[in-house]
Amino acid sequence: MPSAVPTGREKITKFTNCRLVIGNELVAQDLWVSSATGKIVRSQEVFYGENVVPDTTINLRGKIVAPGLIDVQLNGAFGFNFSQIPEDPSTYGKTLRQVNKRLIQTGVTSYLPTLTSEKIEVYHQALPFLGPSGTNRISEDGSESLGAHVEGPFINPTKNGIHKVANIIPAASLSTLTTVYGTHLSPTLSPAGVLLPPKIKKITAAPECGSMMSLIPEITSRGIIYSIGHTEATYEEASLAVAQGATMITHLFNAMRPLHHRNPGVFGVLGLAESLPRPYFGIIADGIHLHPTSIKIAFNAHPEGFILVTDAMHLVGLEDGVYEWTNGERIVKKGSKLILEGTVDKIAGSSITLIECVTNFLNWGGVSVPQALAAVTSTPAAMLGLSATKGNLVSDADADLVVIEEEIDSNGWRNLRIDQVWKFGSKVWDREV
Amino acid sequence: MRLIIRDDPASASSYIANYIINRIKAFAPTPTHPFVLGLPTGSSPVLIYKILVERFKAGEISFENVVTFNMDEYIGIPREHPESYHTFMYKHFFSHVNVHPKNIHILNGNAPDLEAECVAYEAAIKAHGGIDLFLGGIGPDGHIAFNEPGSSLASRTRVKTLAYDTIIANSRFFGNDLEKVPKMALTVGVQTVLEAREVVIIITGAHKALALQKCIEGGVNHMWTLSSLQLHPHPMIVVDEDATLELQVKTVKYFKSIEKVAASQGFEQILPSAIRTGPRPQQNHVDPTPAVKEEPSIQAPQPLTSTLLAAPATEYPLRSHSPDLIPDRMGARIAAY
Repeated sequence: MPSAVPTGREKITKFTNCRLVIGNELVAQDLWVSSATGKIVRSQEVFYGENVVPDTTINLRGKIVAPGLIDVQLNGAFGFNFSQIPEDPSTYGKTLRQVNKRLIQTGVTSYLPTLTSEKIEVYHQALPFLGPSGTNRISEDGSESLGAHVEGPFINPTKNGIHKVANIIPAASLSTLTTVYGTHLSPTLSPAGVLLPPKIKKITAAPECGSMMSLIPEITSRGIIYSIGHTEATYEEASLAVAQGATMITHLFNAMRPLHHRNPGVFGVLGLAESLPRPYFGIIADGIHLHPTSIKIAFNAHPEGFILVTDAMHLVGLEDGVYEWTNGERIVKKGSKLILEGTVDKIAGSSITLIECVTNFLNWGGVSVPQALAAVTSTPAAMLGLSATKGNLVSDADADLVVIEEEIDSNGWRNLRIDQVWKFGSKVWDREV
Repeated sequence: MRLIIRDDPASASSYIANYIINRIKAFAPTPTHPFVLGLPTGSSPVLIYKILVERFKAGEISFENVVTFNMDEYIGIPREHPESYHTFMYKHFFSHVNVHPKNIHILNGNAPDLEAECVAYEAAIKAHGGIDLFLGGIGPDGHIAFNEPGSSLASRTRVKTLAYDTIIANSRFFGNDLEKVPKMALTVGVQTVLEAREVVIIITGAHKALALQKCIEGGVNHMWTLSSLQLHPHPMIVVDEDATLELQVKTVKYFKSIEKVAASQGFEQILPSAIRTGPRPQQNHVDPTPAVKEEPSIQAPQPLTSTLLAAPATEYPLRSHSPDLIPDRMGARIAAY
């Protein structure tokens, strides 16, 4: 049993002899977390004010403490595909909970479960399970959903990737959106009378299709992130989408027009043109989706917007072979490559873990460890508007942490190894256990 | 007066850190008989704290039964302000060692009644049986704690207005904005420091050389408040070479030779045992001040010399721990016929 058995006595844990990821620095500083509140403690205040001393002190011998990793594009894991409703739909929630418990062991403490372009029933059946799951603040629940990411079905059929074209529909009006996503587009009232955020946290859509461009403010006004993706948008259209409120680009370079010097396409909005705010953007650093140099160029264009995502499929960690995909199609897994069966090179997502993406970027990008980790912690948290609670080691933020050891092998490859994972101030995984 | 001269700030700091550790160990503090330590803030002691923390982490010393009293704190800035002395102590010392927060005493610059806070602080020191060792630093003008030039040498814990020089000097910590620098502070008094059973002062750097000279070679003078240490039974000043720049060669050589000779004779510059172990309950408590002593106040001033010079005779060691500095006698200067 990897998760720490709470004795009820351990409340405040102090990490010492560690290096905290703060901004662009590794700072030698202690960190106090509370399993009672699940938050990072204002240590000096409780020390002087309430005479509080840590119940447990953990000497990390120079290891790195980073905020827990956040994956804003994850399609499934450990054989479970969020977009596939099981034959017995009642098992969906149970399997999801098991996936969350295993997912956290990879260092991903919160994520956006992502649905590809599906038939309407799938949204109605899956979304009730995929909304924000951390309200009870239970560390044993494993990885926490920050809300669902619906990638489609309002995308451009010519940039469908592996999304089934038959499922793609144009967004004629707001009612099309509510027909597809149901009530999950709006906040709801809990039985206790508390206003809960919408189950959907992020929508990837092509701004040029249907009336999507004019619907962007409708989406963002509900606290939902609008992300440009699977699109034929020109630079001008992408700029207009940003002006309308788009704050994210889904897997930059993939499933969109390439950068052309006379029409820079979606990538162009990362330039400081038109005095528009620059959006955040997702990058798949698995060595297949993108050339390392493209990743470096994107990072240098807008370092503060750079977010690493896995876009991983449910096949992560499974053997090579042919696997069922949605709608009767199949995916061939060969190593970490996933190809849609019957095609030559249609990439069907990735099967990489988020920390592997960080390690790749660390080595390809010539960046520092804090810079590489920011792409999966503070930057996605900022994109989601959750900087105060997630992705940062600041007082009162949720105590979601990973303890990392940096190893350098004989080829000079810098590897980040996750040694411990903490959720809401309790240890949920330890490499040595 | 013990004056210990070391080559550089690092070795001076490590001397003091070792000294404190040995004192605490010899004292063998217990929960009912804690070692009471007075502590300073400022740049000079940072290295001392660093060494103490290292030695604690190496398991060589425990601060479990150590009670601390800090010298001073600003008035009117939040306790968690990055420049508050609470923050300084937390950052450099308390967060790294096992001093229990209930054993920590730092003046509260946000207390509703500042005067009552000062009275309570003095009372707390007394309740703990007085301070066993007061560690301190000084300013370039020879001030100890916030007892700046002109402070009464009989002063006790009180509200103090900062000198304009100090405000200007501190403005570098407050974004160079004089408006943001606290203008007042709470500080222990000169007399509070002198009542500790032992006072250890660190002085490093050429910019403090004049202050050291005034305090060692000059007379007792309220313009250099540290000079009052000359009236203390067990003071020790640890300095680096740079701080001795204004001293006479003779003075430097004298103090160096004492240390050298003493060491060669296996005769450490130790304290009498009653001071080393503190006032044990079974022993007669030696009150460093007369039992019935009226505090001098504006309403009832008292002659200061009586308190300052009334060093408790019972506290003196039976043998002098080191030969006294005797500058050549007048008689020696007259040629013998």
